[in-house]
Amino acid sequence: MTAETTSAVVVKHRYAASPEKVFDAFLDVAVARRFLFATATGEMLVAEVDPRVGGRYTFTERRPDMGDVEHTGEYLEITRPSRLVFTFGVPRFDPGFTTVTIEIRPDGDGCELTLTNEGVPPEHQAGNRDGWTRIIAGLLPAYDGVHGAGWL
Amino acid sequence: MDEYSALDDVMTALADPTRRAILARLAASDARVTDVAAPFAISLNSVSKHIRILERADLVRRRKLGREHMLALNPKPLDAASDWLDQQRALWAWRLGELDTILKEDKP
Repeated sequence: MTAETTSAVVVKHRYAASPEKVFDAFLDVAVARRFLFATATGEMLVAEVDPRVGGRYTFTERRPDMGDVEHTGEYLEITRPSRLVFTFGVPRFDPGFTTVTIEIRPDGDGCELTLTNEGVPPEHQAGNRDGWTRIIAGLLPAYDGVHGAGWL
Repeated sequence: MDEYSALDDVMTALADPTRRAILARLAASDARVTDVAAPFAISLNSVSKHIRILERADLVRRRKLGREHMLALNPKPLDAASDWLDQQRALWAWRLGELDTILKEDKP
């Protein structure tokens, strides 16, 4: 298991399709360009995928409100059809990269996908393995106790 | 852009165990710089550097009380970080929903 509920962003989705079909959608550029970093009103200018560990992807979309927005990253793990890990960055907004982990497990006649987006890229995690999101969560007992603030 | 660099400052501030310990201490109550520094086996000077990084992220605020500097936790920037996470969560949920639509459309 990877990140649990204390991680930054965890999203689950159930599909009425096989794990292989869902997994392949992320690496098949023809499918990926339609959903991965697309928006309803944008036009995908560049969609490139080099689906091997160490390979990179780039999706650049032209958006009416903000111009060209590039999404890029590197594949860290490709285990079809259960697990896909890649870094993810939008250089225009932030020079840093986060890490996205996609886990897919069979569920009846379909599958369940769990996506985890953690805020700290692996190379920055040496000193704090768990990433900053869990760090914040770790601070919260004290923080909540005093301020009663709901967080995450 | 400012929003992102402020977020960067918060992330940087939180990425160090000493600074997290300082925040946890201040979450219990406001404290003097010397009180905050006391539990750490590092110089007051190093602790001061950590405090400055926390101040830059606006997670800690300082006020003068006589000759003492009092430190207080300011949790607001954590809310900004939380909002950003909510946005990211919504984006990913939307993308995964789009894939669902595509898979259904493409079904023969």
